[in-house]
Amino acid sequence: MMKKIVYIISIIAFLAILTALFMFIKIYNKPHTDVNTSVSDYTVTIENIANDFNQNEEQANQKYLDKIIQIEGIIKNVDILDGHGTITLTDSKDPTKTVVCNMAVSENMKMITLQQGQKITIKGICTGYLMDVMLVKTVIVN
Amino acid sequence: MRFIILISLIVIISTSSAIAQDKYFTKQGYISFYSHTPVEDIKAENNQVLSIIDFSTTEIAVTLLMKSFAFEKALMQEHFNENYVESDKYPKANFSGKIQNLEDILSGNNNVAEIKGNLTIKGITKPVTIESKVSIEKDTITLKGKFMVTVADYNIKIPAIVRKNIAEKIEVTFILTHQSYN
Repeated sequence: MMKKIVYIISIIAFLAILTALFMFIKIYNKPHTDVNTSVSDYTVTIENIANDFNQNEEQANQKYLDKIIQIEGIIKNVDILDGHGTITLTDSKDPTKTVVCNMAVSENMKMITLQQGQKITIKGICTGYLMDVMLVKTVIVN
Repeated sequence: MRFIILISLIVIISTSSAIAQDKYFTKQGYISFYSHTPVEDIKAENNQVLSIIDFSTTEIAVTLLMKSFAFEKALMQEHFNENYVESDKYPKANFSGKIQNLEDILSGNNNVAEIKGNLTIKGITKPVTIESKVSIEKDTITLKGKFMVTVADYNIKIPAIVRKNIAEKIEVTFILTHQSYN
């Protein structure tokens, strides 16, 4: 009888350790947000988001940071440096307003075909404002 | 009268273009940091660094967004932003300093700049001295170098449970390729 209880308890303990380990590995290896499959939190024009940051950076930070932003704009510049792609987009009405998009690695192939002056829609995670609105892990929507 | 206006215009244009040539900047600078411990190595990279050099005043100013640092593991990135640097509260880190030996560098006698200035992380400013390799090519000025940052200096608290995973001193690497301002 006693033997049986010890046996059951040890099996339960073993399973508990196994699940704990499994959970730990799963949390530790939690994947990055996949922008491609995520729904965007805000769809804005460059003019609007740039104005928001210009007028009140703190408030805009609260609103946009870590959020997925979808934006349409005109390509001002395409850059690939050491495998890191960057696209600078300007507003179609106001060319002084710009968004700098750090592209996801998956977009490198698509970037080759892009032309200056082309109109595209992208979405990316907003990291803040440094003269321009900054996006990371950006993907091309259209 | 016309002559005076013309002369003054020429003077204004020539001086302003001279000033413009003294300024170099980049919006796509690279800064990474690296923490090495026997338990694990942690690295994060930022490709959206803003940096401006002004040769007329020997000043250099670098700003970056904390949230633009990309880690290999999403969990590390989350801990970094939420617990360690609190990037919602302190979204930016800054460095502003002066190149101490600019004349030597411009004359080509030396290609290692000594930059003295202040580094601000998490709202705390500390004086630092950074050595940087400088290469000047036409309109491009590249600064490259490494320096150490002590985590405790900037009020970054590491919980006891992960203290062995994160180094007390973090190695910061920078590659800033500036273009002339025009």
